[in-house]
Amino acid sequence: MADLSIDLAGIKSPNPFWLASAPPTNTGYQVQRAFEAGWGGAVWKTLGEPVINTSSRFAAVHFNGQRVAGFNNIELITDRPLEVNLKEIYETKKRFPNHAIIASLMVEPKQEKWHEIVKRVEAVGVDGLELNFGCPHGMAERGMGAASGQQPDLVQAQTTWVKEVATTPVIVKLTPNITDITVVARHAVKGGADAISLINTINSLAGVDIHSWNTIPNVGGQGAHGGYCGPAVKPIALSMVAECARDRGVGVPISGIGGISTWQDVVEFMLMGSTGIQVCTAVMHHGFRIVEEMIDGLNNYLDDKGLASVTELIGKSVPKYSNWGDLDLNYKVVARINEDNCINCNKCHIACEDASHQCIEMLTNAEGKAILQVREEDCVGCNLCSIVCPADGAIDMVALDSGAAPLTWNQRNQVISGLNGSYSEAEVV
Amino acid sequence: MSAYAEFDKERQEVDTLLRQGYSITSIQEDLDGARVKFISSEPGKSSQELLLLTADARKHVTTLLFAGIKPVTAIETHI
Repeated sequence: MADLSIDLAGIKSPNPFWLASAPPTNTGYQVQRAFEAGWGGAVWKTLGEPVINTSSRFAAVHFNGQRVAGFNNIELITDRPLEVNLKEIYETKKRFPNHAIIASLMVEPKQEKWHEIVKRVEAVGVDGLELNFGCPHGMAERGMGAASGQQPDLVQAQTTWVKEVATTPVIVKLTPNITDITVVARHAVKGGADAISLINTINSLAGVDIHSWNTIPNVGGQGAHGGYCGPAVKPIALSMVAECARDRGVGVPISGIGGISTWQDVVEFMLMGSTGIQVCTAVMHHGFRIVEEMIDGLNNYLDDKGLASVTELIGKSVPKYSNWGDLDLNYKVVARINEDNCINCNKCHIACEDASHQCIEMLTNAEGKAILQVREEDCVGCNLCSIVCPADGAIDMVALDSGAAPLTWNQRNQVISGLNGSYSEAEVV
Repeated sequence: MSAYAEFDKERQEVDTLLRQGYSITSIQEDLDGARVKFISSEPGKSSQELLLLTADARKHVTTLLFAGIKPVTAIETHI
């Protein structure tokens, strides 16, 4: 059995599975039950001046029978006094000394406010701090959360203030509601961040009730934008993690967050540069015990791969993620339809005909059977047919050797630029 | 005409000129495609220009150049 323990910027945890700062980490009762279930760490629900939350807080997007494909919330940070939370953190840490407890913090962007809360929270023995610069609703209107996180200079300044007094590792949690997350990540690092975590939730409105015309959710007929999370956001989160992981100006450990629901998701986030991961929505949907399956699945995967430690996964796919301009234009794949598995639903033909390059033909074979066949020379390898195909094994995307040397868009532009440069000179002469 | 047939026609035009001793001397890309200019070092042969429309043909010429078919230099042009 592989070693699942991690060390994220000095924060040690028996496994990479942490609960994200959210409703499941609201109390000591919950966090202790989570640790009993197998979670290796927990980021306590954000501490700050206690708020008053609304009733009717959550909404979900169900898609084609998949419940909670996406999740939306308008809940804010803790509504309990700091001292109450600190007492429970102390008791939880005492009971689970080897588990990681990280305090998520959010206060006004003032040096003295950060100093005060950091000192009080560290006094009860947390293993690290996570600065919440990402919450998109409610707190942002008061200049905190995402409002801070969207301003790189403010992220840097606040991180610096925290580092002036912090004695435990500082993780800066980033908002995805920004054009380029690496800019903020680099400013966090300039401020002294020991690690970053991403992503926080994405600005969202879950829906509008077409009968009552109310927003979903609504509070007595009035709605407000919320934060979106759950499986639907995973590709966005993974992309942002990857961008930070490959940015040399960032260069600190990453705690990956965003739609992680299975052990496979965990592997993906770690391969793309996360040292550990955080989960919220999947727990809100299925409860703490989903971690059991995640631990078993990850253990089996590591054993199958012959890896002794989960840390061997960290960042292994990062070198495989680059810019579009560096992709090989001469790489070619084509679709091949396996008649044995094809159910002749024609979805591939329709997709190719209506949305791609019209290269899947409906034919009749020698036995009079209807078949679908790809004209490979016209296939651009877009993958659409294999995506829409409902039958396993009916369509394979096959790499062909084009015989041409690899050529990227950037190399192509260099060739043309060099060619035209010499030609211009000739023309002048 | 299939996309491949369009490409193949343009590729053959390019390859024919190259076989005839022409060299690619410039590629100008605009909204209408790539204008590829060919010249020959043989006396009496006038320069040629192809407007390549298909993506694969535009890729083909730059692949050839990148793979080592030397562009014509300023000196060669005026010998």
